[in-house]
Amino acid sequence: MDRIDAMLREFFAPAAPPGLGARLGAALRAARTAARALDRSFRVEATARGVRRLVPGTGVGADSPAARRHAARARAELAEYLAGRRTFFAVPLDLAGLPSFQRRVLAAARRIPFGATASYAELARRIGRPRAARAVGNALGANPVPVLVPCHRVVRGDGTWGPYAFGGAMKTALLRLERTTPALIGCTSTRIVCRRGCAHEQRVREAHRVVFASVADARSVGYRACRVCRPARAA
Amino acid sequence: MDEGTFARAAEEYAGRLYAVARRLLGNRADAEDAVQRALLKAFAARASYSPRWAVSTWLYRVLANVCIDELRRRRTRDGAAEALRAGGGGRGRVERLDLERALAAVPREARVLLALRYVDGLSHRELAAIRGISVNTVKSQLARGKAIVRQTLEGGDDGQD
Repeated sequence: MDRIDAMLREFFAPAAPPGLGARLGAALRAARTAARALDRSFRVEATARGVRRLVPGTGVGADSPAARRHAARARAELAEYLAGRRTFFAVPLDLAGLPSFQRRVLAAARRIPFGATASYAELARRIGRPRAARAVGNALGANPVPVLVPCHRVVRGDGTWGPYAFGGAMKTALLRLERTTPALIGCTSTRIVCRRGCAHEQRVREAHRVVFASVADARSVGYRACRVCRPARAA
Repeated sequence: MDEGTFARAAEEYAGRLYAVARRLLGNRADAEDAVQRALLKAFAARASYSPRWAVSTWLYRVLANVCIDELRRRRTRDGAAEALRAGGGGRGRVERLDLERALAAVPREARVLLALRYVDGLSHRELAAIRGISVNTVKSQLARGKAIVRQTLEGGDDGQD
């Protein structure tokens, strides 16, 4: 016990704000009755190269076995994502028919990490067209594969939502879902860290899960990165 | 674990969970939100709770998971600006600010361990169970964290531990 110990102990002394217990109790009761209903009706259209369109509706549009495989995979990944069990999409996309400006905007949107947001102006800067915020907004508005290309992570500079293909409520729901889903999961028995949604991660038992903020953090306490989902590359 | 036991444990530990979250996340709103989310997660997963653990170990595990993911999001949002912000309290305010600044220089994993260690006096073994790391790693992380705090506060001229 030295001076630093004493300072830290005092600094970390518990002091709950008044009414915390009652608020937590109310939240627990509410959660038991709340229905977690996200709209899951997507129509997926795919080519042999990948998913081409994701629109409100139902069913699949695919004209070859490879296209059907991509569509089925997109559907499975979307279901996992909406259930909070996936933080990235591995299904290939087919954006070949789009103008090059829009492709660049969508590529930049794909690089916004899970759970994070960026503004239209910020995205315009990232593609080297700092004055094109409005054009960026239009390119995102015409995003043929929402959710898979996370245009919902792009918000107005003042923090309010812009328009969204599936409606503002859906955008709110997706951002809230991402806010409560951890992205990097370590398994305490194998000491391997994975991205949420990796096949290995999905087998980790609940009692063995720890969350990390970065792969470097995980390494600093003796974990190694998964060789399948390669979390370091994504971070 | 049945609902009644869970509710009692949640009530007993709410203050300490809040203290950890408050010091890691820096403000009251985020801390309360984190405790709430952690308790909801723990409640939803209470079937997977293993009785060979202390309830507190398990609750701290879930809380640490929530807080650390929140820190990850801040890192991606605005670089290194996750520094702990000033708390209230008039007494010893300057010392407190210095300590906050010193803690901000401690790497995340070590900072989480320090918070858990000093809020509830958890043992090295418990800390190891909470974060899923070895006892030796806990010891070295805590020592390193404290050394950084000491160095920042005292200008690194004090060699004793």
